[in-house]
Formats: sequence, C-alpha cells, structure tokens
Amino acid sequence: MESSYLIEANNLAYKINEVRLFTNFSFNLKAGEALHIRGSNGSGKSTLIRILCGITPSSKGKVNKKDELVCSYLGHKNALKTYLSVRDNISLLGLSDHESLESLLSLLDLSEKLDVIVANLSFGQQKKVALLRIFLTGADLILLDEPFVGLDSNSHDLLCKFLEKKLHAGSGLIYTSHIPTGISSKDISLD
Amino acid sequence: MNILLLLKNEGLKLIKKTRAWLGPILIFILIMVAFPLTVELTSNNLSDAFYPVLFISILLVMMLATEGIFLEDYDDGTLELFLISKNSLSQWVFLKIFMHWLLIGVPISLLGAFFNLGANNDLSSSIMLFPALLIATYIFLILFCFGNSLSLTKGSALGTLITLPLTLPILVILGKLNTAIIFNINYFEFLILIFGVLSIIIFAFPAIISRIIKTHLE
Repeated sequence: MESSYLIEANNLAYKINEVRLFTNFSFNLKAGEALHIRGSNGSGKSTLIRILCGITPSSKGKVNKKDELVCSYLGHKNALKTYLSVRDNISLLGLSDHESLESLLSLLDLSEKLDVIVANLSFGQQKKVALLRIFLTGADLILLDEPFVGLDSNSHDLLCKFLEKKLHAGSGLIYTSHIPTGISSKDISLD
Repeated sequence: MNILLLLKNEGLKLIKKTRAWLGPILIFILIMVAFPLTVELTSNNLSDAFYPVLFISILLVMMLATEGIFLEDYDDGTLELFLISKNSLSQWVFLKIFMHWLLIGVPISLLGAFFNLGANNDLSSSIMLFPALLIATYIFLILFCFGNSLSLTKGSALGTLITLPLTLPILVILGKLNTAIIFNINYFEFLILIFGVLSIIIFAFPAIISRIIKTHLE
C-alpha cells in the first residue's frame, strides 16, 4: 500500500446467500479526501462500510489500512443506551471532560438535554447525540452510513461544516447518503 | 479504553437497569423464604433439603441474571463500535461477567450463607458455605453467558438448553460439598476442585464467548 493512503480496497466482493452485492470494487483514500458511496437500496452500501470498518469480512479482496489508523463509525444504530441520560452516554466513551464538549452541545442545541434520558429524546435529537460522540472522537478516518437522516437543516449544515473542517485537518471521510451534502468527494456507485 | 473505564461503564449500565440486578436477587429471596413455608414446621427434613434447594435456586437465578446479557449491546450497535475501537472484546466480556457477579453473585452468596444460618442455626457451616457460593455463582454466570452468546439472536431459551448439561457436574460437586460441610470432611478438597474449574473457565470462556459474538456481528 502506498504510504500516503489512509485506506485502500482491492477487488472487494461480497456475496450473501448466493446473491452478489458487488464485485471487483477498488478504491483508495488519502488524508483530506472524502468518498461518497452511492447506490440504490439493497445495493450493499452499508455492507461495504461494515467491510471497510472491519466488522464484516468480504467474500473476496482485501482492505489495507494505514498503521495505527483510528476510525470512528456511525451506522444505522446509534450505539446509545436509551435508559441512560445524554451525560451518561457521553461519559461511556470517556468524553465528559473533552474541551469542545460545551461548545458542541450548544451548537447542536443539546445543552438543555444533558440530564434527559435518551429514550425521551426525538429520533433527530438521538442522532445528534450520536454525532456529538463522533465529533468528540479524534479519528483519522470517519465512516458514516446515512448520517443526515433525521437531522434538521441547521444540524445538517453543522455536520457538513464539521466534516469539511475535519477534511481540511487531514482526516479521511467515507459516507453514504441519499441526501445531497455539498461536500466535495470522490463518488462511486454500487449500482 | 482502559479497564477502569470499561468496568465503570458496565457498573453504570447495570445499576441503572434496576430490574436486571435487583430482579434475580428478589427472586432468590422469594424462593428461600417460600421454601420453609411449604415444608411442615415439625419436619426434621427441613435442614436436609436446604442445600439442594439453595444450589438449584442459585442455578436458576444465575440463569435469569444472564438473560439477554449481550443482546442490548448487540442490538444498539455498541458492540460494533467496540470492535472498531480495537479494544479487546474478550476483556470486555470478562469485565461484563465480573460486574454481574459483583452486583448479583456476591449479594446472593451472602444471602445464601445468611439463609443457611437461619435454616441450620450453625455459623461455622455458613462460613464454609460462603466461599463455595461465591465460586459457584461465578461459574454459573460464565456458563450461562456462554449459552447466551451462542443464541444471541435466537432467544435465550436455546442457549440455556445448550448450557444446562454443562452445569450438572458443578451441581454434583456442590452436592458433595454439602456432605463435606455437614460432616466436616474433605471440605477444602471440594472447594479447591470447584476453584480449579473456575480458574480454567474464567479466562478461557470470555475468549470463546468473544469469538462467538464476533461471528454474530459478521
């Protein structure tokens, strides 16, 4: 793998129950680059992200990651404990004392919700809490599966700005979205 | 993520779910209180039947305590995040079981020794019983966690059915330990035997369970 790449995929293929989702899929991503994975429902976008994360093994091909690469991932599940408060959910990742916590809580309109049980938040607010945890984690590579679903326009813009800032800072981004984002990215389609 | 943070997280999650830790303890108390009420007060067999009832109720309560132990983290995506963060999954399983033992197994062992005092009116047998119960609760927790991991997405009944035969040798040893406590012979030998079983599975099973969970995630 070329040393400037954060992640490189070679001839990835995935087959489930004899159905081929994608074959010979290759790409590479350098620091500061974004990759937008497009495709219709059921084309394998989420599976591809899970393969890149290392959760699901591919049927064929290989994913090479830069040594010591720190990834953060947000999929369809928010990984939030619905019986705990927002504060407790943040502290589960050891992020309670993060220097940017207060400002991000205020930006995401969550300052008043810190002691609210997550189950009592709306879907969009839960998504914001999940994104907040992504924002606070200093990752080299951010993998997001439909991150804009359920967000209001302010939060949508805020997420775009945050991701662009992270790209300028040298992080990589791989995401799927049916909603236009405005983030300058390489595009690949699984259709 | 360091061990202390993981332990703190598991403690916080379990304490906030009152039903998960208080439920098994209350059921245990209920069984132990209800048992003498179903036997005639004049019966001399009350103390004889106490140990089998104690061990079987501990087995059942530990089975209840582990019901869906990994399911929540599997369903809400926590396990996926954990896998990506490159933390050791077997270490997490170990700490999760340990925290369940600390909050459920230890109180039940204490209560078991206390109920023994009530049933047999013998402090020395309660003192001898307590370490055996501490070990037995940990072994049962590990075994039922193994069953739960096997049937993670298929409901806990299947896993329990698979695991139950594994608990039978432990029940047999506990039965022998019961005799050893009553007659005060070979007590330490049996205690060392179940401690030996625990010392093997305490590290081996979290590794096996983590592998099974990883397979489910794939």
